[in-house]
Amino acid sequence: MIEIEHLTKRYGKKTAVDDLTFAVKPGVVTGFLGPNGAGKSTTMRAVVGLDTPTSGLARVNGKHYSEFRSPLTEVGALLEAKSVHAGRSAYKHLLALARTHGIPKRRVTEVIDLVGLHEVAGKRVGGFSLGMGQRLGIAVALLGDPAVLILDEPVNGLDPDGVKWIRLLLKGLAAEGRTVFLSSHLMSELAQTAEHLVVIGQGRLLADTTVDAFVSGNGQARVRVVSPDAARLAEHLAGPGISVSSPERSVLEVTGTEAAVVGQTAAAHGLVLHELRTDRGSLEDAFMQLTADAVEYRQTTEGANR
Amino acid sequence: MTAAVMTDRPAAYTPPAQYKLSTAGLLRSEWTKLWSLRSTWIVLLCAVVFSAGLGAIIASSVPDDQAIGGAASAIDFSMAGIALASVFIAVLGILTVTGEYSTGSIRSTMSAAPKRLSVLWAKAAVYGAVVAVLFGAMVFLTFFLTQAIFSGTGLGGVSLSDDGVLRALLGYTAMIVYLALLALGIGAILRNSAGSIGFYIGVIMILPQLATLLPWNWVTDVTPYAPGNVPNTLLMVDPAGATLSVGESWLWMGIWLVVTYGLAGVLLKRRDV
Repeated sequence: MIEIEHLTKRYGKKTAVDDLTFAVKPGVVTGFLGPNGAGKSTTMRAVVGLDTPTSGLARVNGKHYSEFRSPLTEVGALLEAKSVHAGRSAYKHLLALARTHGIPKRRVTEVIDLVGLHEVAGKRVGGFSLGMGQRLGIAVALLGDPAVLILDEPVNGLDPDGVKWIRLLLKGLAAEGRTVFLSSHLMSELAQTAEHLVVIGQGRLLADTTVDAFVSGNGQARVRVVSPDAARLAEHLAGPGISVSSPERSVLEVTGTEAAVVGQTAAAHGLVLHELRTDRGSLEDAFMQLTADAVEYRQTTEGANR
Repeated sequence: MTAAVMTDRPAAYTPPAQYKLSTAGLLRSEWTKLWSLRSTWIVLLCAVVFSAGLGAIIASSVPDDQAIGGAASAIDFSMAGIALASVFIAVLGILTVTGEYSTGSIRSTMSAAPKRLSVLWAKAAVYGAVVAVLFGAMVFLTFFLTQAIFSGTGLGGVSLSDDGVLRALLGYTAMIVYLALLALGIGAILRNSAGSIGFYIGVIMILPQLATLLPWNWVTDVTPYAPGNVPNTLLMVDPAGATLSVGESWLWMGIWLVVTYGLAGVLLKRRDV
């Protein structure tokens, strides 16, 4: 359980996180979504005590992170992929961290194998690709077999296999009753991994809900029609609140109505349909819609300050 | 959890209880970090080669006729390389801290030890101990090497049992450990490699030397108390003429370390990582 209570963090005049309150529960994967600079990383850094909040609290299982006697078994964090000395090998980096807590070498080898770095574990990290760096970061997070996992953009730089792997891994860890909190800018990725969503923009909470509720609440369903009589159908469909666009000559995309209505309209006028389908709004759409204001607001204020 | 009860919400996960953050663990961790970098081996090798090699070369090139003789100059010549090696030791001390900031590994370090201060103490303890052992050996090795060279010349060698010689040699060891710790503390305050090395060389090493050229008397009065100068008395075979007594020299080394580490500790606690 991660609890963020009225968390505010300012860097000089810039407010990165603004009175943010939410909780991340164990047992499910919770996604953390927001545009660049929304304050995701700052919030995560505050949880593991790297950033001191200007005001408010960030707690893990009721305690401030620094109060734990074994921080690495309480929280495993991947904050930035390259939180490693470039001149040190992956094995030695993990070993140095393991030794602070008396974690045996056996566990170090175990996490190296788990993330698939076995063959390069003795190589210096400076030569690692972004994906390998991510895998090492994930190994660090898993080192203490922690109750809470905080991962900032874990799929960044991973290949498709790696993305699939981490998706399964995180779901499995959550199913064991752990708290799993990950941020991502790949919204479709979160839709496949997370059950719960926390969305922020400009450091403020925009939504704290399930992925399903978020998509159906914010995304707009769209009806896709393929018809040789597309142009005539479009004329008959036109009405208040209904918008029709035609990306191709025989294809219509209709919003503001349902597939049933489109089908009935076509039948009533004797028009042939080759395809009739409802596209659920994607997480991307929902996200864009929700954060549009926040993003626009920021851009206009920046312009005004110049 | 033996019963295979399936519910919507999985049972709470309990992390392993046998692992604990400890002081011994932090010391071992810093030991691992120190020796797992190539730069440590290179810099220490340079320090060792310079202290013994330069001492030997200087010792063998002291001309017989200009040899002033006496234990003081015999020690000064033979320890010339040690003084230079202290620069390498200081730079490595700085890098043990600033290297973590420049590469970002400090985030991993401080996530594992969120109280932070214990990391600084562990770093200082491990590095101080390594330097003490290495240069405890190097100072004496260099001494015996150079005195063997001197014994064939008009300068003549001195022996450990001569007045003040042993104390002076231990003084060199103490100085190099002190400078190593001072540099590490400066690194913790400034967090930047170039800035810290520049500050160390400019302010700790060179400024006190230049300051004596300034036209104000008070500057000359305070320079013996500068952080880089306070160990000087310890290096003397006969400290009678020094501004600081041996006791005062130790005291001021302690004061400067307390000031440096006090500031480093406060900043480490207050600043974001």
